[in-house]
Amino acid sequence: MLLSNYVDAFTTASLGVLFKNTMIVGIVSTLLSLVITILTAFAFARLEFKGKELLFAALLATMMIPGELFTITNFATVTNLGWRNTYTVLIVPFLVSVFYIYLLRQNFLQIPNELYLAAKVDGTSDLKYLWKVMVPLSLPTLISITILKMMGAWNSYIWPRLVANDEAHRLITNGLRNAFTDTTGDVNYPVQMAAVALVSAPLFLVFVFLRKYIMSGVSRSGIKG
Amino acid sequence: MVESKQQWKAWIYLAPAIVLLLIFTVWPIVNTVAMAFMEDYSGLANIGGETSFHFGFGNFTKVAQNAEFKQALTNTILLCLITVPLSTVLALLIAVALNAIKPLQKALQTIFFLPYVTNSIAIGMVFAAMFNVIGSVGTRRPLISSYGIVNDIIRFFGGNWVNWINSGSEYWANMFVLIVYIVWNALPFKILILLGGLTSINKQYYEAAKVDSTPRWRVLTSITVPLLSPMLAYVVITGFIGGFKEYTSIVGIFGESMGPVHEAHRLNTMVGLIYDSLASNNQGRASAAALILFGIILVVTLINLWVSKKRVHY
Amino acid sequence: MKKLVSALLLLVMLFSVCSFAGAETAPAYDGSDVTITFYHTMGSNLTAVLDTYIEEFNKLYPNIHVQYTAVGSYDDVRDQVSTEITVGTQPNIAYCYPDHVALYNLAKAVQTLDAYIDSTAEVTRADGTTEILGLTDEQKADFIEGYYNEGVQYGDGKMYTMPLSKSTEVLYYNKTFFEENDIAVPTTWDELEEVCAKIVEIDPMSIPLGYDSEANWFITMTEQLGTPYTSATEPHFLFDTEENREFVKRFREWYQEGYLTTQKLYGAYTSGLFTSTSEIRSYMSIGSSAGAVYQRPAKDENGNYPFEMGIATIPQANPDNRKVISQGPSLCIFKKANEQEVIASWLFVKFLTTNVEFQAEFSMASGYVPVIKSVAQNDVYADFLAKADGGNYVSALSAKVCLEQEDTYYTSPAFNGSSTARDEVAALLPACLTIPDGSDVDAEIEKLFQKAIESCEYSQ
Repeated sequence: MLLSNYVDAFTTASLGVLFKNTMIVGIVSTLLSLVITILTAFAFARLEFKGKELLFAALLATMMIPGELFTITNFATVTNLGWRNTYTVLIVPFLVSVFYIYLLRQNFLQIPNELYLAAKVDGTSDLKYLWKVMVPLSLPTLISITILKMMGAWNSYIWPRLVANDEAHRLITNGLRNAFTDTTGDVNYPVQMAAVALVSAPLFLVFVFLRKYIMSGVSRSGIKG
Repeated sequence: MVESKQQWKAWIYLAPAIVLLLIFTVWPIVNTVAMAFMEDYSGLANIGGETSFHFGFGNFTKVAQNAEFKQALTNTILLCLITVPLSTVLALLIAVALNAIKPLQKALQTIFFLPYVTNSIAIGMVFAAMFNVIGSVGTRRPLISSYGIVNDIIRFFGGNWVNWINSGSEYWANMFVLIVYIVWNALPFKILILLGGLTSINKQYYEAAKVDSTPRWRVLTSITVPLLSPMLAYVVITGFIGGFKEYTSIVGIFGESMGPVHEAHRLNTMVGLIYDSLASNNQGRASAAALILFGIILVVTLINLWVSKKRVHY
Repeated sequence: MKKLVSALLLLVMLFSVCSFAGAETAPAYDGSDVTITFYHTMGSNLTAVLDTYIEEFNKLYPNIHVQYTAVGSYDDVRDQVSTEITVGTQPNIAYCYPDHVALYNLAKAVQTLDAYIDSTAEVTRADGTTEILGLTDEQKADFIEGYYNEGVQYGDGKMYTMPLSKSTEVLYYNKTFFEENDIAVPTTWDELEEVCAKIVEIDPMSIPLGYDSEANWFITMTEQLGTPYTSATEPHFLFDTEENREFVKRFREWYQEGYLTTQKLYGAYTSGLFTSTSEIRSYMSIGSSAGAVYQRPAKDENGNYPFEMGIATIPQANPDNRKVISQGPSLCIFKKANEQEVIASWLFVKFLTTNVEFQAEFSMASGYVPVIKSVAQNDVYADFLAKADGGNYVSALSAKVCLEQEDTYYTSPAFNGSSTARDEVAALLPACLTIPDGSDVDAEIEKLFQKAIESCEYSQ
């Protein structure tokens, strides 16, 4: 019964749309998120400004409140912005992740300061230095972040269901979850959870498939001098 | 002059993140804090014109006086203190091993990433099935249909089966299952990060150690750990922040009753309390519980930061 | 004297004018072009039925456009709607359970239906025929009473919801085994005890009865015994009484004796125990009437069912006060600024709940039972019922049993916190049943009841 639902889900016409939506949201949000994370981590790791320590502590503090409490306020915000049932609402609200900023900052801090000062002397601009030196040296971490962010886009369903559950913007996890809901709507946890697990299966295959590339990207020669 | 230039440059780099955080994180937090001080506040009732709430500390005292509060706090702290160090040490050892062993590396990496790709409630249910005893445990006429894989293995080696999660099970047995599950679930992320850190360490250090024929554990404690310290600090600090928010793993294994049959709520956590309040449409009380939790995590994180400042080498 | 009479008359007239002005009257549908949104949980097999009947509806009302969204599960619908209410974008119509409506009512978002039901305003349809906006007396009488009355469980006597399709709990039993051993199907709990004792004697490796839902069991017992459970008005939580502790204690004895089990106590679905072909099995199972196919054993290699299944009304405490729970979705309509949207929503809800063909087809596709009696006379549905048996057509058999017990349905009071009460008794009952021999059973039960009440009250 479970298997036939899965087959059904994959043969319905809307699967193409679900997949397209998920790819658009996944790729755009990952790219934008990487840019923001790199800029922010760089500022915290290399630039000097007033209140740096305090701001960083404040950033960490935002991680300490369970995000479920934000839902209602954010729902009101995106409704007021007129973002309901758009790609924007699926991409923008979660672009900034302190979790990844912190990770990348740690990595940036490991890159010797001498490289930066040398670049300064050569008159290299910060942005160029960031792009030519720091980003390549932090590639392992950036790849990790990419994997995690893509997984997040693929697996997320609570927020997307709430703000963009129309046919044109529905994401794959919600589409497949719907296919597994009992005809009458009684929550059948085992079936639904199995569905979520199965939804993740393709992602797992992608990981296995790309693992070689990911891991070889990770193993570059040492940074620490 | 140069310094002030760097000042505003830094803020330009930070601007996108700060703008988004202000809208989608700080503003909700402001609302959360405000609601925590509004007694008997309910968002829906407020829309219905019911504005009888008043300001005060009532939500905090209500949460603290809840019969389950002490238990939830104990569970949260206990789980956190055990699972975070345990998973960090294991992740370190596994990452070092994965980095060193060439054969089977691919297969092992895949196995360790398995828990990460899917929903923790879903895997929790699979995990629970391995420990679940099906039957009429503890009655005058006990009939057992299935002992679960874990007990089957114990019995195969001649041991006595254990009541892990079913009616009549002991607290420590419940906690054992939870700890195993949480640690296993936390490993892949930590391994991923530490493995990334390991590959960044210059091989010269290890070659030097080889020439000196330094024992393995010395290499680990004197070279690997110090050089990996920024990533270790990151893993520990974020591990504690996440650990204090433990909730889904318990739902996965014990269901929403958050405990074995004979004692529901026994394994509830702080975030569990927040969910309970949200479910009964008590946003004020949920916010107060969240702020209490925030206070605890803040103290722990400050201690962590203080320690890491002394120990971490960049 | 005359003066007095005329004064009285005047008073009566004044009174009636006042009360007339006081009662809400629903204006008629003016034929304007409106789009109404409808959140439900239907799977694709049911939306196909819905599509057909939206088309039928549009033949009568071409200007009312129905847009539906399959939101997910019942809980998903509740979360979605209650969040949308906070910004005022809730749909026009939604699938609902009573506790959802109690939640939406905090925001006073749900439209009461009395004025619409009672309206005699005439509406002209596209085919030139007319109908009254409200329900005719025949239509009202056609609803199964217990289902219809769910709409007025909110403590203020007003009607908030219309039933769409319903299910209940039924007793599934192993007919083959019962006939072989000459056992009569139990109709009361006393008889059930005897039957269990007999079954255990015949097959010591069996747990005679599996009860799927602990919450339903507890609540149904209070209803059958006429003892307090909850109230829609304060104080809400009333279930900590001597009589309730008494029946729980009795069931504990049965559980310890190995007569019965529940899903939580057994550690797996009790339907699995009932359909089991291994040594440990049950011969009776109480579960949802909509899940008959899950209670049916798998066919063996020769294509035969290992045993024939029978379905009956669940055991009762008092044969003169038979009670079984009513479950399944109802429809609620939300208030909107545009009055015509609300009227259009009502017309659609009325269409779905009173259209015999829709009710028949929807019931057959979903496994739920129709909410109006006249469906039984529908040819297609009558054919479906006639096929009822304990093998290939168990859904029909289940539906038949449900329709035969139409005078026994009850629903519990709904208020903000009623779902907490349900969760608490769902944990309370099995916890009491597991109290081991040798401990002070009465004291332990009392303690657990008190704890459950405290938890309920904390959530207020």
